[in-house]
Amino acid sequence: MRAIGRWIRADMRASVGQAIAVAGVVAGVVTALLLSAGLLQGATNPWQGLFTASRGAHIWLHLAPGTDADSIRSLPGVTAISSPEEATAATMVQTWQRTRVELRAMRPVPPAIGRPLLSSGRWLSRAVPAGVVLEVTLAEAVHAAVGDELTLDNVDGSIATRVRVVGLAETADQGFYPDQTPGLIWVLPGLLQRVEPDAGRTQKVVGLQIANPARTGFVVQEVVTQVGSSAVGSVSTWQQVKQSMARRNPLLGLVLALFGLVALGAAVLAIINVTSGRVLVQHAELGMLQALGFTPAQLTLMLTAEHALLTAAGIVAGLLGARLLMPLLFGAVPGGSPASVAVPAGWSALIVGGTVASVLLATAVPAWRAGRAWPVAAVRAGPRGHLSRLATTAMAARLPPAMVLGSRAAFVRRMPAVLTVAGLAVPMVMITIGLGFWATLDDVRANPASVGLATVTAGPGSLTMAQAARLIAADRDVQASYRCVQAVGLVPGETTTITTLAMGTSRRPYPFVVASGHLYHAPEQAVATQALLDAFGVHVGQFIQMYFGGVPVTFRIVGRIIDPQYGGEVLAYGTDTLAYEGAPMATGFYSLVLRPGVQPAAAASRLRQISGGRLDVGLVSNPGDQLGVLRAALGALIVVLALIALTSLLTALRVGIRDHQRDVWVLRAMGLTPVQVKTAVVVRTTVLALVGVTVGAAAGRVVSSYLISAVSQAYGLGAGLGRAASAESVAATIAVAVIGAAVAGALSARTDSQNQAAVVLGP
Amino acid sequence: MTNGADTLLLRTVGLSKIFRGDGVSVPALRGVDLALHPGEFAAVIGPSGSGKSTLLHMAGGLEPPTSGEIWLNGQRVDGLSQARWAKLRRRHIGFVFQFFNLVSNMTVADNVELAALMGGATRRQARHRREELLAELGLAGKADAAPARLSGGEQQRVALARAMANRPSLLLADEPTGNLDSAASQAVLRLLATAHADGQAILLVTHDARVASAADRVISLFDGTVIDDAPMVLPRLPASPETSAARPRVRAPLSDVLKLRG
Repeated sequence: MRAIGRWIRADMRASVGQAIAVAGVVAGVVTALLLSAGLLQGATNPWQGLFTASRGAHIWLHLAPGTDADSIRSLPGVTAISSPEEATAATMVQTWQRTRVELRAMRPVPPAIGRPLLSSGRWLSRAVPAGVVLEVTLAEAVHAAVGDELTLDNVDGSIATRVRVVGLAETADQGFYPDQTPGLIWVLPGLLQRVEPDAGRTQKVVGLQIANPARTGFVVQEVVTQVGSSAVGSVSTWQQVKQSMARRNPLLGLVLALFGLVALGAAVLAIINVTSGRVLVQHAELGMLQALGFTPAQLTLMLTAEHALLTAAGIVAGLLGARLLMPLLFGAVPGGSPASVAVPAGWSALIVGGTVASVLLATAVPAWRAGRAWPVAAVRAGPRGHLSRLATTAMAARLPPAMVLGSRAAFVRRMPAVLTVAGLAVPMVMITIGLGFWATLDDVRANPASVGLATVTAGPGSLTMAQAARLIAADRDVQASYRCVQAVGLVPGETTTITTLAMGTSRRPYPFVVASGHLYHAPEQAVATQALLDAFGVHVGQFIQMYFGGVPVTFRIVGRIIDPQYGGEVLAYGTDTLAYEGAPMATGFYSLVLRPGVQPAAAASRLRQISGGRLDVGLVSNPGDQLGVLRAALGALIVVLALIALTSLLTALRVGIRDHQRDVWVLRAMGLTPVQVKTAVVVRTTVLALVGVTVGAAAGRVVSSYLISAVSQAYGLGAGLGRAASAESVAATIAVAVIGAAVAGALSARTDSQNQAAVVLGP
Repeated sequence: MTNGADTLLLRTVGLSKIFRGDGVSVPALRGVDLALHPGEFAAVIGPSGSGKSTLLHMAGGLEPPTSGEIWLNGQRVDGLSQARWAKLRRRHIGFVFQFFNLVSNMTVADNVELAALMGGATRRQARHRREELLAELGLAGKADAAPARLSGGEQQRVALARAMANRPSLLLADEPTGNLDSAASQAVLRLLATAHADGQAILLVTHDARVASAADRVISLFDGTVIDDAPMVLPRLPASPETSAARPRVRAPLSDVLKLRG
């Protein structure tokens, strides 16, 4: 064992570069897989910490004014109820934008249940009657800070109130803005009445704590029965809030998982290549070690143990990397304890175990084969082959001998050549797919209409709907506008409320991108996204019933659409459906479809200008923007894959140089100049690189369109979205790989020529 | 089977090796019988392709024979597995090759100590043995050098130190001077002679008659068979006219042997 340990130490010192490459590859693969597991599992969830610290409520109810909330207190399962506070909708006005918010009245003494956690500034106090506290994620989104002066407009814009931000706070009542809207602002009761004196436009907000959180749905049903569904404006449960707070980005998680798994496979290939290559290069030494008395089992153990150490180092680095990157990638998590950004333990164990097993297998097989060979047979080993007809023809045709010999040398050892080509092709396939994803994201960003997004919304603000409609119609950049109302529906049995969209009318429905079926053409017809259909367990052609302000409405699903808003869960129908059923309907806003080529931001600011700031103009966020993180992740993955490919290439170089060393003086004696001899080495590595990356790029292009379509279809972004990587980007990648291989070959050819002939001419 | 074989260090009976590849069979050794006593220094000489290196490799278990028997210290070893052979080599057999075969990524000291550690020495014992050997071989100052920085002769001396680290019963040397200049060759041969004087048994393979003359006994191989096996007696200058009458038996050159065979 001492002898084995000594050899491992000496060998790692001698081939530091290769050792670092192997450890780096393992670290990259492990980080990618851990991050994907975390994302798919929703690991980054600060909800628990916030809920406990703020003594959160399991259920939040928005009740109609005048509802008797006390009767809820006596319901079975309810352990505590917060004192009802008032809430109203308002618009927060800053110089450059208007944002819809919800004002919640709270007293200077924070409540027992659901107390906001102050993160900066001060809480509300009577000393500052115009002071407001903003929820942290809202403040971040609108760039508001403590000390800022804002204006709060009431719902119809008839009253504007100047206020000052005195503090920022976190809460477990509601998910993060803008995933959940509207944003929350806490105000003193007196201020709320100043902003919105009309009591009819306020609601009562009540928070419930229950004994058994698992029975939340049951309790909600009882509450709705108790107070009547017409009194219930909206319900939110702790499960909804927790889910919305989870940084669950399934698309990103899936991409990382896919790349991570393929990277693991490619890493295994690369490590097989490295170990076989090293066995080939060091066969004389390994044979001599056997002569010294190392048994075949000890040789296998030695090589495997060396790689096991490197793998362990790589895994530790990968675990640390994942820990560091998770919060870094997704920003500081408010209220999150370190535990909330850790990857679930079960997944970590699976990933670490799988990586260790794969790498050990990749090492053990070539190492075992090395041990099996008799020492002398090992010492005598050299590449076998003959000058093929192709090569002789090429030489006879006076092609440069360096090119011919170099190209031939690339494939003289079959197995290593196959491993090298595969080791380059597999990463190249994934890199090409990654470039395809990138191109698709660029497409979505440049052309959001392809995913069915209207980009600009315009609320009437202080105008009437008719005035707003006229202004909008007059704008030359607006191709069409559709009246939209967000209606909150209570789903019986599901015990939740969901925000539905009444957009356009049955005669003139909003032009959603329809994946199957058709748009709504009559009252009570509706379209839904795949995610919503999955959530309710229904298909196109079936029915969903909901209560809007106590009025039951039954929808028949006539089509499946693509829309990424609301986390991909959208139910849309004509505004005439609500009128037809007699359900209450808010004023709503206009959703604008811009002419092609018009920038949303420019159109929005012009609309504000021509309306004198009275139109409530907003921008709909583009998934292409939010997926900036996806781009960063793709970039990092491409680097890891490139590292894997480089490892394979360097191995091929080592083997090639060893073979080349035998022949260099012979070739020179035959009449090849030193330059020609070096060129042969460069050609050898370049040919291997060219074959490998070209095969990979071709396979990648074929696969990537299908793959991206499949993934985006699964996540409600629509089929037909996938775009293969552009020819230019693929060609550039191939060029980089081939030039890199040529440079590496040139550098090693240079050092090699300094060896003395006597040393080189081995048995 | 006891027939005086128990006193022999190495014995081969009808040892044969046939290399097969690409549908061609090449017999490298044809039924070689060999016997080496403890402490004996024998040289195997022959032209290229005569099978001498093959004989040496099989004697040390680096290559399996096609047929025949190999006995080492009274124990039959030709059928041993690679693992058993490896363990045998640790304590009982030392190898010196033509091309030094040092571990390139270890220092001179490490190369020698590695062999000692393999033989079961503790770290302290390995270090002592290494210091002792390197001093004997005049390489004490090169302990921390990398093999690549040494001359051919120095590397071969390190290989010799490594081979003798465990005081093996048998030292097998395959063309130890084949890659050295004459001065280095002389130095290595002197070292082998010294080791032999200390009781080391050596089986040396060479194509050079002058190198073979350092041994007690010369075995001639040609085309895979032993054609001569005789003690090497150096001609002594006659001390007096009376002793000159006793003519010493001198080895005939190889060419004469070939003529005899016709």
